Amino acid sequence: MNRAHYRYFLVFTLPALAVYVVFAALPLVNSIWYSLYDTDSGVARFVGLENYVYLFTNPTTSERFWNALTNNLEFFAIHLLVEVPLGLLLAALLTSGRLRRSTGLYRTLLFIPTTLSVVIVGFVWRLIINPLWGLVDFPLLGDERTALPTISLMSVWQYVGIPMIFLYAALLAVPNDVLEAARVEGSGAWSTFWRVKFPLIAPQFGLIAILTYIWTFNGFDLVFALNGSAPGPNYSTDILGTLFYRTFFGSSGQLSDLDLGATVASVIFLIILVVTAAYFGLLHRRLRSYEL
Amino acid sequence: MHAIRASVALVAVAAAVLTSACAPSATPVTTGGGTAPAAAGEKTVLTLGSWRTEDLAMWEDEILPAFEKSHPDIDVKFAATNTNEYNAAIQSQVDGGTGPDLITCRPYDVNRSWIKKGYFEKLDGKPMLDSFEPLALDPWSDDAGSRYCLPTAAVLAGFYYNKDIFAELGLQVPTTQDEFLAVLKKIKDNGKYTPLAVGSSESWQLAYNGLYSIGPVYWKGEEGRQGLIKGTKKVTDPEFQKAFDAFAAWKPYLPKGFESLKYPDMTQLFTLGKAAILPDGSWNINQVAVDGLNVGVFGPPADVAGGQRYLQEMPDMAIGISAASKNKAAAEEFLAWTATPEFLELYVNKLPGFFSMAKQPVTYTNPLAQAFADLKNGAQLTPRLGLDRLSAGTPPFDDEVWRVLQLMLNEDLSTRQATEELQKGLASWYTPQQ
Amino acid sequence: MRNNRDRAGSLVTHALLIFFALLAVAPILVIVVNSFKTTQGIFGQPFALPNADTFSLGGYERVFTRGQFVTNYGNSLIVTVGATVATLVLATLAAFALTEYKVRFAPLVGGFFVLGIMLPIRLGTVPIIKTMISWQLMDTLVALILVYTAMSLPLAIALLMTYFKAVPGAIKEAARIDGAGELRTLSITLPMVRPGLAAVASVTMLPIWNDLWFPLILAPSKENQTVTLGVQQFVGQFLNDYPALLGALTLGAVPLIVLFVVFSRQFIQGLSAGIGK
Repeated sequence: MNRAHYRYFLVFTLPALAVYVVFAALPLVNSIWYSLYDTDSGVARFVGLENYVYLFTNPTTSERFWNALTNNLEFFAIHLLVEVPLGLLLAALLTSGRLRRSTGLYRTLLFIPTTLSVVIVGFVWRLIINPLWGLVDFPLLGDERTALPTISLMSVWQYVGIPMIFLYAALLAVPNDVLEAARVEGSGAWSTFWRVKFPLIAPQFGLIAILTYIWTFNGFDLVFALNGSAPGPNYSTDILGTLFYRTFFGSSGQLSDLDLGATVASVIFLIILVVTAAYFGLLHRRLRSYEL
Repeated sequence: MHAIRASVALVAVAAAVLTSACAPSATPVTTGGGTAPAAAGEKTVLTLGSWRTEDLAMWEDEILPAFEKSHPDIDVKFAATNTNEYNAAIQSQVDGGTGPDLITCRPYDVNRSWIKKGYFEKLDGKPMLDSFEPLALDPWSDDAGSRYCLPTAAVLAGFYYNKDIFAELGLQVPTTQDEFLAVLKKIKDNGKYTPLAVGSSESWQLAYNGLYSIGPVYWKGEEGRQGLIKGTKKVTDPEFQKAFDAFAAWKPYLPKGFESLKYPDMTQLFTLGKAAILPDGSWNINQVAVDGLNVGVFGPPADVAGGQRYLQEMPDMAIGISAASKNKAAAEEFLAWTATPEFLELYVNKLPGFFSMAKQPVTYTNPLAQAFADLKNGAQLTPRLGLDRLSAGTPPFDDEVWRVLQLMLNEDLSTRQATEELQKGLASWYTPQQ
Repeated sequence: MRNNRDRAGSLVTHALLIFFALLAVAPILVIVVNSFKTTQGIFGQPFALPNADTFSLGGYERVFTRGQFVTNYGNSLIVTVGATVATLVLATLAAFALTEYKVRFAPLVGGFFVLGIMLPIRLGTVPIIKTMISWQLMDTLVALILVYTAMSLPLAIALLMTYFKAVPGAIKEAARIDGAGELRTLSITLPMVRPGLAAVASVTMLPIWNDLWFPLILAPSKENQTVTLGVQQFVGQFLNDYPALLGALTLGAVPLIVLFVVFSRQFIQGLSAGIGK
């Protein structure tokens, strides 16, 4: 450790730090601050944790909050249980060594949905499963029990390319000599995958799981595009992102409440922070023990 | 040192990428907050913020050229934001110190909160207000009665019907609730067409085109609405229960899978000739008459034969001058022009389904628009039930109405449960109801 | 024997991939096909090819007469590429420093960046507008590039750090012993973090190209509209111009797909040439 290190550290991080602080961190802190104030009367009045107390004690707001949190957990669980294994399957198929020139074509086709705007995704799936014009008789999006799983699966359809590409990259990085050794031993493709490749890419799953967690808890676009800012039926597709939007900006039937919106946002932040911190804490400890 | 210089170079490359994106645009900046007052001889550029994306062509091709012809020194730009994001966009822009010079105003509670936040110039004492009755100005006034927005248009709600289907099945236009249900039953028994093109996925329209349209006949329009606002009536009172019952009676006549059908699906079902009746707003006139469909209009049925008729007339749109605008004089000129006969005639006829709120009588060239306007004769007019005062707290009454109406259709929530939930929600924060 | 089993396995692999590829692409074909139909045709028979009655180029016509699609395209490309490049450059420098120099406050700075992944950036809209006004950047594409870069940096840095950690220290030491400066050392490690750069580029590009909110707020004028904002004019309060909407969406999706193909090929090539091979 020397002074040059400090200098390099500063010079290398400063550009990113400057942009990040000015255009993301400060604005966010500025807004989060509102959660400790009451600004409804036009002047900001410090109220401590009153907004938080209100969020969790008012029967309507607390019911909506717990509902959105539960829905969000379901939204996350479906992504974790469907999207990640599917991504693994696709990545495994792409790197199975049985394809020659067609790998690039498959990879591109499978990734195309990820590049689409949610407007397209929402429109086309709504059309496909529309009871009047589409292929499914049952009103999947109109039933409280099926609406959220349906939207989650649309989202999985769109974003499966992300875990696929992460795992694909990790699988490509498996050293050839290891695979060669397995082949010499007469190991088949199936057992090579599970005995040799899978353990090598396993660390990627932690990263993908935590990213999926962060993304789904910041999720908003698809639900908003499909169901607007009071996502029904009966708020069954309301997630934390739409709850925040509705509270902070208002909806057609609800007035905007900046203070309560900031309160919702900071609670979401805490929910994400606790899990993410736990993850990185664990990871950090493991990395340290490797180094020792 | 070497590393430092090189990293500066890298940052410079990044900066170059950034600045190349900042090519100076030849046209003037159009956001209100950023625009300096025009120098002599230069055109003043005004932006008009609106949620009516579909009106862009009409404003650009018809209305604004007419204004600019008589006001060559002013250039108005129509800046439409999708209706779902309009409130959020306006609030963020104005709070941040920018936004359009002219803001299209939502009626009632939303606009009251905007007035309170100081978004608008006060219009009190301006001659342009004289073109409107005080009642027409009320939806955009503050508690002290000061005026902030000039009304542009109201919308009506009623029932479109397919005349060919009615002729084929030998049906008459219903005038009472019993006749209405009889007509629905006949269409259903025939089996060829869907009686009512209604989907419950977008719950707003269950309220706006359903309950708030057929309900006033039971709660006696303004009498019931003002009663809720003053706290002299409750949602659980029999007149409101009856209205909810009348709405619940629609359920057997909806298309299959109605739970997931959205507003455009309903319109399409009707325009494809697959449904006989579409409960809808006047704003949809152009769309339902597309492809020369033979369409008529009838109003919400009366309680009994010869009984008083009611019609939902909703103050929908008004325009106000942004307090942050740097071109207030020009903005006022434009606003005053929207109260002139030239604008009114142009607007209501280029945009059939939107009705003038000014004193001055206007002729409607579109036959369906005229048919809608005719429904007003002899009917008592009343705005949507839930938007005035009752939606300024948590839970907002209007949102709750949408939700329970959806539950009534989707999950068989009873009228009693629905009205009790609404009353409980209202009583939890709205002082006159406590 | 061995050969047969290989052939069967390869058949199964292809069959599965074709199935999933169809699942991925078929809905998109529905969009493309319907963009060539009238509104009645779209809802009348959504899965049929256009016929004499339902075929119409009206949607595309309106896309080009009503919108300024070429301008919108250009704006979206400038913003997406600009923000992605800026993110890659700044995040690479920062992530390298955060993993390489064991200064005392490095974990603190790293943690500070990571916090940014967890907040919805929309929350900061009003202060962002105020900053842009005071910097005279309101209604410019630069404003968008800056916000998107700031928004993408946390995830980009977190991802790249995990890749930089995997680079063997010996390689960097060797470079330094050869007299390479710190930036040269960084550039020597770059080929080894290429998969990371690929991942960052793709997860950065996607939300930026498809974002609606900040273009609406920070650069709404016609000259600065992006594709997503331009498409919105066909989504009305009550009335949607479906043919034009689908046409605009179809056209709007193409550049990102092309960008992805270009980026991914670039990086995947580096990948197979780089680590462990």
